[in-house]
Amino acid sequence: METLIQSIVSGVLTGSLYAMIGVGLTIVFGVMRIINMAHGDMVMLGMYGAFWAHVAWKIDPFLSIVLCVPAGFVGGVLLYRFLLRKIVPGGELNTLLYTAGLSLFVANLALLIWTGDYRTIKLPYAIMPLRPMGISVPIPLAIAFVMAILLTAALYWFLVHTDTGRAIRATSQEPEAASLMGISVGRISMITFGLGTALACGAGVLLAPSLYLYPTVGEILVAKCFVIVVLGGLGSVPGAIAGGLLLGLAESLGAVYVSVPYKDAIGFVLFLLVLLFKPAGLFGEGKS
Amino acid sequence: MKLILVPVGLAALVVAPWVVTDPFYVHLMIMVLMWTVLGASWNVLGGFAGQVSFGHSAFLGAGAYTTMILYLNLGISPWFGIVLGGVAAAVIALPIGLICFRLRGPYFALSTMAVAEIIRLVALNWESLTNGPVGLLITTLPPVTIAGSPLDWESKVPFYYIVAALAVGSLAAVAVLARSRLGAYLLAVRDDIDTAEAIGINTVQVRVSALALSAFLAGVGGGFYAMYLRYVDPDAVFSIALSVEMVFIAVVGGLTTVMGPLIGAVFLVSLGETFRTHFLTGHLIFYGLFMMVAIRYMPEGIWGWLRLLVANRLGVRNA
Repeated sequence: METLIQSIVSGVLTGSLYAMIGVGLTIVFGVMRIINMAHGDMVMLGMYGAFWAHVAWKIDPFLSIVLCVPAGFVGGVLLYRFLLRKIVPGGELNTLLYTAGLSLFVANLALLIWTGDYRTIKLPYAIMPLRPMGISVPIPLAIAFVMAILLTAALYWFLVHTDTGRAIRATSQEPEAASLMGISVGRISMITFGLGTALACGAGVLLAPSLYLYPTVGEILVAKCFVIVVLGGLGSVPGAIAGGLLLGLAESLGAVYVSVPYKDAIGFVLFLLVLLFKPAGLFGEGKS
Repeated sequence: MKLILVPVGLAALVVAPWVVTDPFYVHLMIMVLMWTVLGASWNVLGGFAGQVSFGHSAFLGAGAYTTMILYLNLGISPWFGIVLGGVAAAVIALPIGLICFRLRGPYFALSTMAVAEIIRLVALNWESLTNGPVGLLITTLPPVTIAGSPLDWESKVPFYYIVAALAVGSLAAVAVLARSRLGAYLLAVRDDIDTAEAIGINTVQVRVSALALSAFLAGVGGGFYAMYLRYVDPDAVFSIALSVEMVFIAVVGGLTTVMGPLIGAVFLVSLGETFRTHFLTGHLIFYGLFMMVAIRYMPEGIWGWLRLLVANRLGVRNA
């Protein structure tokens, strides 16, 4: 029983971060139909941002989120404005290949600058986990969980209650109708890409104290992101949140009750099953 | 023009190891030709049939492991093993095709990536067959005598001629495909799958044929890779990175062109391997860079761009 609760707790903790990464990927897909293969590398950049802020200025990694999220937003806006904008009209496969190129470029640039060494951030408060009711909860993961919920909720509020948020949702549902209603689709695309990148960098910052940092970490993360957004339906924000939590739970429960070596395969099998039998996602909200 | 270039190119391939003796450059030529085979393999499915796969390492790995296991456990010579590796890859391609071809465009690409990752995890954990993460190692290759003198496997030259033959064979196969009825069907599927279906093309059968040919070539390339390195492990032959490299060689060289993968391999592999001799890591940086340039400015890759350049020159001269 304790094992079950423990694996549910760790599944939800990791799942909240997966959800945050997935939401970034899914809003970008929804508005621009970009399948961003470089999303995992943006998470990687966020992780390194937190790492260097910690090394250079002794900033607590969780505080560096106030630097990394705006930097991610600006970076994403510029990336869209100067590189991706010309590619998007070429179709989904072109953007897929283009962002795959971008991903390889960023990861290898990071390898050149930071080498392939594994790095970790050592925090004084990370040594002893919290132990509520006999369950072990690592403190950095607990803080990351709370912050991921706050950030994802803030984004959700933004999408539901602000004019720009409404414009983003409108563009996502029907770009032509949105532009006929006077929404500048170009501007909305730029903002959306910025938001997606900001979320990825933010998730990277939150993950940095709990994971090993190395430049090709994005390769694993990007595969997971796609599992998440496809589970929830591509383009659906609530779907991505549910998909993230589901993947986190499936991995931690699978490691305990199915098999440790095949833990990572569980996500991919779920992914294929959903693509084949429920291509709009488990909740039927996505666009296939 | 083309009729002159082909024999000249073949003659250059035969003569090259006499001119180039520096082991680094022989190794470089071997890698270029091996990636030509792999790029050509990807191009059959991704270029001609328009089905972008991010999981071709599954076929490369299947070929590499088959060749290796047949040699180690049953003593089957790599001469046959490499071909059987291709056959094994084509066989596992069939169920993969049946699953993934139900999806289109980017969804197909993502599903192939998922399948390849599942296969990598199986190879990692099926220790009785694959020896798990430790991998399989061979120390000696079977002795072969040609015209009375034994081949020296420690020298790279025999490997060069083997892979040169494989590369020429792959490019010839793609050239034949491009002129065949199947090739025309593939282009129709690539351009508009619904219309192709409507005019009576069995699109499933056509795509599965393309996948089988593509997987066969990748498997043969994988078999050679295993024999050349004399070592396989799941992360070396089933990685996403290898699948991605194949995509890049074909797209940067020239999607849906016969010679594109050769050009892409010459260009990217030379850049990458030269870079590797100067820096420890990050040798794929140019792959990413040129992919972005190719998608933005050269839809038919370097080969298409060169052809356009030559055509313009000739056009100006004629006018």
